[in-house]
Amino acid sequence: MTSTVDPISLAQKAASNDTEIDREALASLLVEIARNVDPDYRARFDGVPTADPRMATLRQLLVGREISELSRVTHLLDEPEQLASAVGGVLPSAAARAPYAQLGEALAPAVERAVQRSIQKSPRTLTDILYPVFLPAIRKSIGEKIDQTFQSLNETLRHIFTWHGLKWRFEAWRTGASFSEVVLKHSLVYRVEHVFLINRNSGLLIAHVTADNATSEDPQLISSMLSAIQDFVKDSFNEKEQSGLDTIRFGELRLWSEVGPFATLVAVIRGNPPEELHEIIRDVLFRIHDECSQALEQFDGDSSQLAGIESQLQTCVELKQEDSSQGFPWLVVAAVLLVLIPAGGWFLLSWQSGQRWQAYVSRLSTQPGIIVAEQKVRDGQFYIAGLRDPLAADPQSLLSGTQVDPARVHSQWQFYQSLEPEFVLKRLTASLAPPKSVRLSIVNDRIVAEGEAPDTWIDRAHAAARQLSAGGPVFDISKVRDVSPEARAAEHWQAYVSRLSTQPGIIVAEQKVRDGQFYIAGLRDPLAADPLSLLSGTQVDPARVHSQWQFYQSLEPEFVLKRLTASLAPPDSVRLSIVNDRIIAEGEAPDTWIDRARATARQLSAGGPVFDISRVRDVSPEAREAERWQAYVSRLSTQPGIIVAEQKVRDGQFYIAGLRDPLAADPQALLSGTQIDPARVHSQWQFYQSLDPEFVLKRLTASLAPPKSVRLSIVEDRIVAEGEAPDTWIDRARVAARQLEAGGPVFDFSKVRDVSPEARAAEHWQTYVSRLEAQPGIIVAQQRASGGHFYISGLRDPQAADPQALLSGTGVDPVRVHSQWQFYQSLDPKFVVKRLMASLAPPDSVRFSIIKDRIVVVGEAPAAWIDRARVAAQQLAADGLSLEISELRELTPQKLTHLREAIQAVDILFDSGKAVPGPEQLPVLDKLANQLKELAKDARKAGVTAQFMLTGHSDAVGRETANASISAARAETVRALLKKRGVAPESLLVRGAGTFEPAETENSRTGSSANRRVSVTVNFH
Amino acid sequence: MQKKICMLGGFAVGKTSLVRRFVQSIFSETYLTTVGVKIDKKSVAFPDKTVDLILWDLAGEDDIGSFRVSYVRGASGLVLVVDGTRAATLAVALTLRERAEAEFGPMPFVLLFNKSDLADRWAIPDSEINELRQLGWQIYLTSALSGEHVDDAFRQLASMVTK
Repeated sequence: MTSTVDPISLAQKAASNDTEIDREALASLLVEIARNVDPDYRARFDGVPTADPRMATLRQLLVGREISELSRVTHLLDEPEQLASAVGGVLPSAAARAPYAQLGEALAPAVERAVQRSIQKSPRTLTDILYPVFLPAIRKSIGEKIDQTFQSLNETLRHIFTWHGLKWRFEAWRTGASFSEVVLKHSLVYRVEHVFLINRNSGLLIAHVTADNATSEDPQLISSMLSAIQDFVKDSFNEKEQSGLDTIRFGELRLWSEVGPFATLVAVIRGNPPEELHEIIRDVLFRIHDECSQALEQFDGDSSQLAGIESQLQTCVELKQEDSSQGFPWLVVAAVLLVLIPAGGWFLLSWQSGQRWQAYVSRLSTQPGIIVAEQKVRDGQFYIAGLRDPLAADPQSLLSGTQVDPARVHSQWQFYQSLEPEFVLKRLTASLAPPKSVRLSIVNDRIVAEGEAPDTWIDRAHAAARQLSAGGPVFDISKVRDVSPEARAAEHWQAYVSRLSTQPGIIVAEQKVRDGQFYIAGLRDPLAADPLSLLSGTQVDPARVHSQWQFYQSLEPEFVLKRLTASLAPPDSVRLSIVNDRIIAEGEAPDTWIDRARATARQLSAGGPVFDISRVRDVSPEAREAERWQAYVSRLSTQPGIIVAEQKVRDGQFYIAGLRDPLAADPQALLSGTQIDPARVHSQWQFYQSLDPEFVLKRLTASLAPPKSVRLSIVEDRIVAEGEAPDTWIDRARVAARQLEAGGPVFDFSKVRDVSPEARAAEHWQTYVSRLEAQPGIIVAQQRASGGHFYISGLRDPQAADPQALLSGTGVDPVRVHSQWQFYQSLDPKFVVKRLMASLAPPDSVRFSIIKDRIVVVGEAPAAWIDRARVAAQQLAADGLSLEISELRELTPQKLTHLREAIQAVDILFDSGKAVPGPEQLPVLDKLANQLKELAKDARKAGVTAQFMLTGHSDAVGRETANASISAARAETVRALLKKRGVAPESLLVRGAGTFEPAETENSRTGSSANRRVSVTVNFH
Repeated sequence: MQKKICMLGGFAVGKTSLVRRFVQSIFSETYLTTVGVKIDKKSVAFPDKTVDLILWDLAGEDDIGSFRVSYVRGASGLVLVVDGTRAATLAVALTLRERAEAEFGPMPFVLLFNKSDLADRWAIPDSEINELRQLGWQIYLTSALSGEHVDDAFRQLASMVTK
């Protein structure tokens, strides 16, 4: 056996490098299997040659496919080109699936080397890549550096020539630092007060740290607002840069913010921070990002994951530079202070207590009644000596409130009586005990007593005044009136005398008081007041008064006036009065009286007062009449619509002529009340039409007859019509206005609104509404017209007229009417009757009538109907209506019963085998028909319906079926015959009873004629 | 726990007055006209936690174009406010929500129909509100005047954004 088969050789070749196949073991396994299949085989083959080609074939059959696949993969792995392309296909997703940390670690060295190589090869490439990233950072850094330089330069310049500048130069030399560094250290005083760490995405606060004593509002809100402002600036100025607001400065406060990938750190700094602080803050931010980048990236508002951050921020807050003054000799200062403070304190205290003592002493000195003779201070003790009045203030009590220690005060006071008015007054008040009517007071160092006192007290006061006159103040009691009884009587008398003296017409010549008696003498005018009556009320005893009066005629104007009034008797129209001692007569008097007055005046001119009658007008009759006429004429002249052309008076007659408007006042009527005799007046008036607006207005009012809604008035000589009117009126007004245009006043009716269509519609509506209101069973509750539409609502009885139907013929457009009716039951008796008619369906024999709101039912009705009416009456009674049914008679049932019995007794008889009754039955039929009709009528009256059952019968002869049919035929015949006689066919029912309801029992073979019949049964429904 | 919430709504729907009585605030209303946003805080206490809602009250604009969508970045939820007496404001609120979600993805929200005290001028039919409710939306009829349902709405939103 040769191995020429290709697959095997291929297999051999493919597996040639496969040295692990144990061909021998495989061969023995196959032999073993063969032996098991066939025991003989064992005998034949003891072994299998390892090089047997069948083995290879078998192998090829078993694992041929795997071998070829394996060879393909091996080929793939061996060929670098193919392997590269295969790995390249899966590399990105493999890298993405690799653990983040491990991949980073694995790649880091390679990437670092690659970057290194790239830079070595061409630094330009990487620079180009990183340029956009670094440029802002570099720019910012350079900016800060420049700021830093400027800051240092500024501060250095500021301090270079000052005293502490020299000091700092020394410090720089001592510490080896540059001068500018030292300057900055001393001049830049700042403190970081707050640090906010803010999520960049949402603006939520991640952490917030505050310096001691620094306060701010809610940090959560602030951080959000800060990021909102960042967004605002970015959006507003279209800034694309990654960084945000760098610095916000507000007075002493600066907000510095550093932006990281996930969080922004904002530091709030008070004072003047050095630029290096930016770097420090940035470092802190980077450290935070370094440590918690994942937590920061995934921050969703829960900051519990980021608890450690606050300690980082704390390092920022602790940053500050305070204006320290090192090397200050604290110990020396303390020692000096230790000595100085007690000494200063002691000085202060003793100075203070001295001051207080002096204040007390000067206060004492100013006290009245206290005289300080001596005072001194020794060893912290106070000594004082002097005089004091017992009535003066107590020096001890004055001590309280001065903060001077009373225990250290040693006083020595001697009492004395002060002559100061104040103290004298006190003592006088105590010793003299002045009555209540006396008031003591000090006026310019004098003690003054005022008021009233009895003479006894005045005497004691005089004594005291005398005592005081030696050295003390003056005690003036002159203003105290002596009110002892005598003095009082004298006073009363004096009061009376002076009262008399002022009386006109009384002259007191002499008066005196002696021994309690009063004497008076003088002159008096008879018209003067009675001296005796003047005595009453003066408290002077009349019994003790002795008067002696002589009469005389006083020429005082007052008395002269009185006498003139008595003698001249002036008429009512004259008034006499005294003006500046002259007697003046005013008013009107006839000349006769004036003459008398003039004579009297002449008499008086010798010594008496002037009597002036020049103001009395002579009112003799003619003069009076002429005056009245003039008054009348001038009154006429002022009348609108009257023009006086001419007037004159001649021989007691009055003539007047002129024009007058018919609407003007009647001159004749004006005459009444003027006291002019109309008979003596001759007038000649010509009518004319005044164009005075007033008259035009009147004429217009008369001719145009404006409706009530129009108001005419005169406005600045124009006649103005206002209001609403129909077009017809407006047309007439227009015509009138046109007429007036020629010379008359303007008639302005532009303010009159044309309300014709509306008015007409409204009128129609009102007609309709009043028509509705007049309708019984309709109650109009509300109605109005608005915007051309009409709204009406109310109640209506279903039995009342239909409001819609009433609309026709009213001229109101039904489309514009909006009605809302609610049904109600009118209690109007008319409606109640209507309802009753509908509900009770009374028989014809019953009549309803309304008598004074009562509904009375009269007539006849069956008992059942009367019962129903009674129920209705009770229901109506509940509504306050009375339905009287007492006059209702019950329809006699006997009448119906009699008729029924009569009818039911009738039989219509037939000949054998005939279905039509014989002629002899016709009268019976006629009578029956009448009875039926009568019954039907009566029944209807009684409110029932009568029905007549016509039952046909037959005798027992013949077949039953034939009998049955003939009986029915007989009934039908009778029905037709009755119908013919006027009985209502619907009341007639028909049935055939055959032989089953015989009138009599049949024995004969011919059959009973009595059974061949039609009977009638009456039923009422 | 803090959450950023944006309040969106048309002009004069009453967003600002709606929250005025219910929030802590340190910024005056002039921020709305200057910066375009005013930030308030509403704390909602649950048995197991307290949620601080940081409310970004964006200036109401009927001109959708001027809406600063960047303010919505990082927000966890929205409060959409509609003036119940002006039907057009519903469309405005829904458009604003679409704008926000198109930019930053879907987020929970509550829809407030404000001015519920003005019943006589109410312009949104109940059927429309019910249709929106059918969508599973959280809808509240609120009144800045009476404060009706305002707290409920914030509580609901707080529980939605912390789920």
